[in-house]
Amino acid sequence: MNFRSLRFRMTAWYAGLLTLSLLLFGVSVYLGLEHYLDSALRKNIAEEARSIGDNILEDVETKGEKYVIEETTENYAPEINGRFIRITREDGSQLYQSSAPKDGSFDPTRVSGTREPLSSAAYRREPVGRTTLVLYQRRYFTPTGKAFLIEVGAPYREIARILDGLILILALGTPIIVALAVAGGYWMMQRALQPVNAIAAQAERLGYRNLKERLPIVNSGDEIERLSISLNRMISRLDDSFQHINRFSADVSHELRTPLTILRGELETLAQQRVSADHMEMIGSALEETDRLSKIVSQLLAISRLDAGEACRQLVRLDLGALAISIADQLRLLADEKSISMVCDIAPGVEVEADQIRLRQVVANLLDNAIKYTPDGGVVKLSVSLLKNTAILQVEDNGGGIAAADLPHIFERFYRSDVARSRSTGGSGLGLAIVKAICAAHGADVKVSSTQGAGSSFRVEWPRAINILRVDDRVSDTGLAGIANAPERPSASQATSFEA
Amino acid sequence: MRILLVEDEIKVSNFVSRGLSTERYAVDTARDGSSGIQFSQACHYDLIILDLMLPSISGGEVLKLIRQRDSNVPVLVLTAKDSIQDKVDIFEAGADDYLTKPFAFAELLVRVKALLRRGPVDRASCLRIDDLELDRLSQHVKRAGKRIDLTSKEYALLEYLMSHPGRALSRTMIIEHVWDQSFDGVTNIVDVYVRHLRGKIDARHTRKLIRTIRGVGYAIDEGGDS
Repeated sequence: MNFRSLRFRMTAWYAGLLTLSLLLFGVSVYLGLEHYLDSALRKNIAEEARSIGDNILEDVETKGEKYVIEETTENYAPEINGRFIRITREDGSQLYQSSAPKDGSFDPTRVSGTREPLSSAAYRREPVGRTTLVLYQRRYFTPTGKAFLIEVGAPYREIARILDGLILILALGTPIIVALAVAGGYWMMQRALQPVNAIAAQAERLGYRNLKERLPIVNSGDEIERLSISLNRMISRLDDSFQHINRFSADVSHELRTPLTILRGELETLAQQRVSADHMEMIGSALEETDRLSKIVSQLLAISRLDAGEACRQLVRLDLGALAISIADQLRLLADEKSISMVCDIAPGVEVEADQIRLRQVVANLLDNAIKYTPDGGVVKLSVSLLKNTAILQVEDNGGGIAAADLPHIFERFYRSDVARSRSTGGSGLGLAIVKAICAAHGADVKVSSTQGAGSSFRVEWPRAINILRVDDRVSDTGLAGIANAPERPSASQATSFEA
Repeated sequence: MRILLVEDEIKVSNFVSRGLSTERYAVDTARDGSSGIQFSQACHYDLIILDLMLPSISGGEVLKLIRQRDSNVPVLVLTAKDSIQDKVDIFEAGADDYLTKPFAFAELLVRVKALLRRGPVDRASCLRIDDLELDRLSQHVKRAGKRIDLTSKEYALLEYLMSHPGRALSRTMIIEHVWDQSFDGVTNIVDVYVRHLRGKIDARHTRKLIRTIRGVGYAIDEGGDS
């Protein structure tokens, strides 16, 4: 169970509140009932004492004390009713005292003697044996002026029994009510949140490829319906902007590439004619520039597609070290040309998930760059290592380095430092921008550090592949590369074989 | 060999048909989708070159209609789109090959020839140009009877050049064939390898076989002097 889920928290909250209010309710009912029963009992014994005086003691002088004893026993039956009755004369001697009640709940002889003052009416509580008696005493004056003290008592246990019963009901009932409420509430919450789960599941299925699909709309008229509608509006806007980007790149592709095609075709046709060597030179130069322009167009479009998040769709699991070595081997000749020694320090088993062609492009661009800007006889170091969950690919050189003022800009499109400009190496000015865009599209990062005169270091930080072997990915590894190449050609996996 | 070219850009259509005619192909040109379909129904073609962005009926629709009627004619698609998804879509629609604009005419020609001879592919085990011999089985290369040692990349490069004798192959074609497209941004890898190859093949001989065609690429053919 997820203790942080809305469902759990909501249920826990209101179950707590319900328990608390039930407890408060129980306590107030208990106290109220106790008070009511207590006052009812007091009223009852007071009434009894008054009526003993008014109805029986009134006649004590005319009918004698024996009459009083008999009448009291007969009319009030204290033994049967579980009552205590005592009538005391003015001198303190007892006229009447009830005997032990039938249920034996208390022993009347152990009730303490009458205390001062005899004058006023008063209540008291007195423990007798195992029980407590509530006692009421009242002075009674006969018409001739003789004074008697009437005491009536009842065991408190009756009230206690009722209250115990109440506690039992509350103690049993509260958990049952809370449990029922929790179960019902949990179920209700599940019902209420079910659309949210459905929306979340559908939203996770949505990606770049199926933005035409929409989330399920719950016609419940509540907040969830509003949520699904606003989410769908957001997806529509996303879809619109993706389509806009796609349309734009398609238009740009067409509008720029068609004139380039014509330019190139006409120049090539011209080159077939008999022209002077000078003219041939010019045509060749124009063709080279057409080439460069085409390359810039392709790279700009590639960057805009990467920015739109397209490149991350062909993810496969790759050994970064093996990939880096194979690229390095293929570029070794470029390094040899300049007597640059290429040093590889590759940790084994560093796996990443990436679009293979794109990742190769990153490594090739960085190595090519390093070789280009390292003077003859220099050193280019390529290393692959693992730092916690990040795969790190580092390309270091001991060339001229990059000026501090240029460092923040070198990943920008068309940015060229003065050194690069003066060398006119013939690149498009987009190599590092592509590297950056590829990394960003994969959730990776590329950083540069440099000391002028001592060399530069490019560091790619790629999230390490999670440790789940996905067999289908490995199968598709070569599949797409094969499609990307024309038929009749060796597939990319063949073409990338190691240099002998 | 009869080729139908469906392309709405007149200038592109002109230089392609001119170039193909020079190579002694009979070329019919259509300027939009519907006339392209009419042409393809009226006549039997050995190959159809189809632009994707066409007025009236799009190239994709034309391709579908062609495939419904005649599933065998090879179709080479010309496209300005170059994303992987676009390429996959093109093949799924039934194209046999595609070429991204702008293209070198030489590359178009190479692909046209490849599509026209589909089936029994001409893969002679021994390629020969002048006194340079390449044996595809043993992977041995000899010039004037003398064995030349090549690295695997140099061998792949030479084999690619020799299998298209006299054709100018662009750097992009060479990179995609010998390396892969991830090296496309690497500035001068082809030039460096060609220089090394020349050092081994041509350096000690007066007749130079590998030619640089400025702005286009490289070609190998029977002894020029340059």
